[in-house]
Amino acid sequence: MTAVHTTDAGVPTNKSAPRRAAPGGAPRRRGSSFDRLLPYLLLAPAFAAILWLIGWPVLSLLVTSFRKLNLKELTRGEVVWVGLDNYTEILGNPDFWIITARTVIFTVAVVGLSVLSGLLIALLMRQVSPVVRIVLQVTMLLAWAMPLIAATTVYQWIFDQQYGILNKTLVKLGFDGFAGYSWFSTGTSTLAVIGLLVVWQAVPFLAFSLYAGAIGIPRDQYEAAAIDGASPWQTFRSVTWPELRPLVMMLTFLSMLWDFKVFTQIWAFRKGGPDGASTTLPVLQYLEGISKSHFGVAAAVSVVMMVLLGVLTFQYLRRLIKQEGTL
Amino acid sequence: MIAKKVSSNVIAVVLALFFAFPTYWMVTSAFKPTRDLSSSSYDLIPLSVTAQNFAAAWNKEGFLRSLGNSLLVSLTAVLAALLVGLLAAVAMSRLRFKGRKGFVLLMLVAQMAPFEALLIPMFLMMRDLDLLDKLPSLALIYFAVTLPFCAWTLRGFVNGIPLELEEAAMVDGCGRWGAFRRVTLPLLGPGLVATSVFAFVTAWNEFLYALSLMKDQAKETLPVWLSGFQTAFGTDWGGAMAASTLFTLPVLVFFLIVQRKMVSGVTAGAVKG
Repeated sequence: MTAVHTTDAGVPTNKSAPRRAAPGGAPRRRGSSFDRLLPYLLLAPAFAAILWLIGWPVLSLLVTSFRKLNLKELTRGEVVWVGLDNYTEILGNPDFWIITARTVIFTVAVVGLSVLSGLLIALLMRQVSPVVRIVLQVTMLLAWAMPLIAATTVYQWIFDQQYGILNKTLVKLGFDGFAGYSWFSTGTSTLAVIGLLVVWQAVPFLAFSLYAGAIGIPRDQYEAAAIDGASPWQTFRSVTWPELRPLVMMLTFLSMLWDFKVFTQIWAFRKGGPDGASTTLPVLQYLEGISKSHFGVAAAVSVVMMVLLGVLTFQYLRRLIKQEGTL
Repeated sequence: MIAKKVSSNVIAVVLALFFAFPTYWMVTSAFKPTRDLSSSSYDLIPLSVTAQNFAAAWNKEGFLRSLGNSLLVSLTAVLAALLVGLLAAVAMSRLRFKGRKGFVLLMLVAQMAPFEALLIPMFLMMRDLDLLDKLPSLALIYFAVTLPFCAWTLRGFVNGIPLELEEAAMVDGCGRWGAFRRVTLPLLGPGLVATSVFAFVTAWNEFLYALSLMKDQAKETLPVWLSGFQTAFGTDWGGAMAASTLFTLPVLVFFLIVQRKMVSGVTAGAVKG
């Protein structure tokens, strides 16, 4: 990250300033005060929008989490402060801890699996013939581009109990136990299918990014390793990995951000079921807040989500901000 | 050595099949007649082809309405985010002013804001504004979701356009605005297209807010409508697959456009001559 782009474009050019200024005034000064204001004018809409639509909701979320706000209070416009009651309510509920643990395990499993697969596929793409590579890239693009709900619908059809192609194939291969097998009878199995779907859609982006990084590694480093008689594993450890590490870290961080808040797929599959066994924190937040209108409790759940996300990504976030700070 | 090459290629082909299969299965199922879908026969390749599922999905109650809603909300949000984001990107990339670093950091952090966790305050805010069950609330939220991303990405694209080009235009008598409009803006074309496609796909896919804020069926967006396909289609998997195919199509077309634009590399060598 270099700082080359803030050159003197911001310094007023006398060529343009007088033309813009009204005749008869003090052209130079008016021009320069316009130029001084210009960046703020350009940034004002974005700044206002971010304050209004992100900053304010964050503040309001914190405030709401300390209020009792059910449908009754909402329609009457009452403000009832309850201190930490919402937090003690959710933290005192054993189900909440199960859901939290489930969310964290799901996130870590999905992120780990997709980053690892993305890395392996990126390295594989360097080894294969150009035609095969293009075919693989096109098919990955298909998976990446498919809208979430369309993908969810297709997966439900593939995993369908009665006519799904997966069960049919398994039976044909001799696993007769899969005739009419339900993949959605337990929470673990449901989340495994959802996890597979999430990984399937996440890997293409990761593989493309890592492939771009991998082909950027200077060739002579590999030649040097070959001359030294390094095994493929040694070559990976001493040449490829050090070069790709920062990129892998960034992608892991981004994947954490994305996969922690997965809601669409979980809801569309079984609405967090069977019997709440595939419910994660985002689903819980929806159920408490929107379905049951317990806005205060739901806000407390959201705050816990934010805190967890902060903990999961803290290390990387700190490094990122430090790095951008030098810009 | 040859064995290794062959086995890598075989693995790659198997992976390609894994990635392509759901798309293949969606499209072929959409073209299969209903009797072939709910049968125990094993047919990886369709035996007979029909367009009747597409007709059924197209004419299904709510399809066209939710398609219209989705297009309206997504396009409004993305156009607004692109315009506001571009202004901010130009300021962050080209101008020097007090507090610039702070703005850049704000944009970086805002880009990572977990919007899903802001569901409750957003819901309450839209209720206070009397925007529940009204499409503008979704347009506003999608605008907010995509804005930091647009500003951040466009800043990168503006950084990539050499300032010398603008300076050359100013030496030739262009004003600063003229130089920007005639030199930078055209070169920014591919970046604008790529950014808008990704922003559009984000809005097009969004589900949580569309589900929570639009309780009125007439205001449903396509993802919410499609997620309820089991009520709409029963076990009509052919209709559901046809609707999914129609839902995927615009995104796929957009992705293909970006792919082409991204490789054209318009600025390459622009300063050399």
